[in-house]
Amino acid sequence: MFNLLREKFMKAAEKIKEKIYKKGEAEEVKKEEKVETKEEKKIEEKKEVKEEKSKGMSFFDRFKITRTIKRVIKKEVVIVEEDIEDILEELELELLEADVALEVVEKMIDSIKKELVGKKISPDDNVEEIVYNAVKNSILNILSREKIDLEEIIQKNRKEGKPTVIVFVGINGTGKTTSIAKLAYKLKNKGYSVVLAAGDTFRAGAIEQLEEHAKRIGVKVIKQKPGADAAAVIYDAIQHAKAKKIDVVLADTAGRQATNINLMDEIKKVVRVTKPDLVIFVADALTGNDAIFQAEEFNKAVGIDGVILTKVDADAKGGAAISIGYAIGKPILYLGVGQRYEDLIEFSPDFIIKKIFGEEDIKFSTEREF
Amino acid sequence: MLEKLSENLNKAINKIKNAMFVDKKLIKEVVKDIQRALIQADVNVKLVLKITKEIERRALEEEPPKGFSKKEHIIKIVYEELVKLLGEEAKPLKIEPGRRNVIMLVGIQGSGKTTTAAKLAKYLKKKGYRVGLIAADTYRPAAYEQLKQLAEKIDVPIYGDLSKKPEDIVKEGLNKFKNVDVVIIDTAGRHKEEKGLLEEMKRIKEISNPDEIMLVIDGTIGQQARVQAKAFKDAVGEIGSIIVTKLDGSAKGGGALSAVAETKAPIKFIGTGEKIDDFEEFDPKKFISRLLGLGDL
Repeated sequence: MFNLLREKFMKAAEKIKEKIYKKGEAEEVKKEEKVETKEEKKIEEKKEVKEEKSKGMSFFDRFKITRTIKRVIKKEVVIVEEDIEDILEELELELLEADVALEVVEKMIDSIKKELVGKKISPDDNVEEIVYNAVKNSILNILSREKIDLEEIIQKNRKEGKPTVIVFVGINGTGKTTSIAKLAYKLKNKGYSVVLAAGDTFRAGAIEQLEEHAKRIGVKVIKQKPGADAAAVIYDAIQHAKAKKIDVVLADTAGRQATNINLMDEIKKVVRVTKPDLVIFVADALTGNDAIFQAEEFNKAVGIDGVILTKVDADAKGGAAISIGYAIGKPILYLGVGQRYEDLIEFSPDFIIKKIFGEEDIKFSTEREF
Repeated sequence: MLEKLSENLNKAINKIKNAMFVDKKLIKEVVKDIQRALIQADVNVKLVLKITKEIERRALEEEPPKGFSKKEHIIKIVYEELVKLLGEEAKPLKIEPGRRNVIMLVGIQGSGKTTTAAKLAKYLKKKGYRVGLIAADTYRPAAYEQLKQLAEKIDVPIYGDLSKKPEDIVKEGLNKFKNVDVVIIDTAGRHKEEKGLLEEMKRIKEISNPDEIMLVIDGTIGQQARVQAKAFKDAVGEIGSIIVTKLDGSAKGGGALSAVAETKAPIKFIGTGEKIDDFEEFDPKKFISRLLGLGDL
């Protein structure tokens, strides 16, 4: 998923670096024998990299390897805006193509510019590292580092003898019901008891869909008739969980557009009445610039604690993950990566950084359970 | 819906309207504004560059026709290029009288196929056609139940059988609905990485020999719209038309425009809400003039 972003950042960093060397009248310097053998080895490595492009190598490693022959800057260089303008403009377009929202792209480009423009680079400086850090910081700056440990919350609540209540919200068709089923499956496998609340009382077939999942996973659903009050259904489920000492209540809600005032009022009421431990916003990774708007509006209405990003297996480029993180400053907890119950993987800002600057890409299954 | 895109495009248009005189610098500035507006609306970046380049070229090279000022001409160019992007004329859905027409709905998970199937059925029923629905999604739990509930609401017959394979459901369903005017087949959601499912979709197409395959696209989809639309087109040979859903929200629908450009299929309907009547025919010219705040041209 972050493969593409990695390529884009890598390319831009490479170009900036070249520019700096050119400006500093870089020249090839051959040092002692010892270095030369090292160089040969590096040239070989470079070949391998070309053949086996992005496999198993970190951003920085690959970045360094392109420096097959140690280059130095002869005289001090000051980077001016014109030096990197074109490169950053290209990067801007490429990030947009990777579904990073315009607002976020501009922020990233700005951050790289701020860090590099006006910077004096002397012959003693490590050019690679300076450029690499500027690029990396542009991403770190927009990612939140807040963390949520779901199991910790569940265990703490369990000690206090109460269930952990999680309400899922989001626009239509992003994958709330399916994500609930996957999370229930995950939690059950970890030894927690789970009950589902059929709080989508509106969409045709929604209750039946949740029931079918519950049957397959082996958990109970608390439901009422279609059209019932969503808050009441979830409240019932919480009472049930309290009585039966069940660890977790996962509450489904109907999909709603953030522009629909009535439905947003309804979800506010649901959260007010049920007082969940966590409100999870479910977002579709294929979403473009709308991701930011949706996340912001739901956050304003009900206060999002975390995000599940779905349909990542559909070749999403990772832009939505970065954009949503930026928009609400809340962590993405899980990625939905397929049509099986186990296709839910844990996620964190470190995970993004590792995926962009680290080694391999995520692998997905195309098998289908539902 | 689409307020933000409209607002941003209007700003660009107003820049032309309010300019003292039109020069190269102004045109470049306006083109940049339009680029930004379209990219923010999720139109494919390459597509944006292509059309804005064309707008720039025409604005710089073309002489305004008689009776038009340079300013008016440029606004007209923007309008024309955007309309071109959407496929020019409105192309309403054609139902051949006197025989059974088959429509097959395809799309990514959660794009809104099932709800759209019911909306389309109601739309056609209102026009006096006899309609039958086939529920060929056997994967998603309660997909059949969902369509059944919707079908009951609009009083349209439905065929589905959870014990059968999608291909067999379609076969049986077509046998059952011999004497209707239109059969609408709802299929399971799938995406371009799910090769097996794309194959299955192809088989359903071969069995049902549809008169029209409609691609249902989520209005919020971003830059992935183009490649996804291409995968669907490649699998079934041809996409006849596109339905853009969820345009009642904050989505700007630009991703759908990219799908239009990729598949060369026109948008025929848009979904504007969850209720079965939230469904409109689509007219590119009206749509763009509304977007640009031009009124009817």
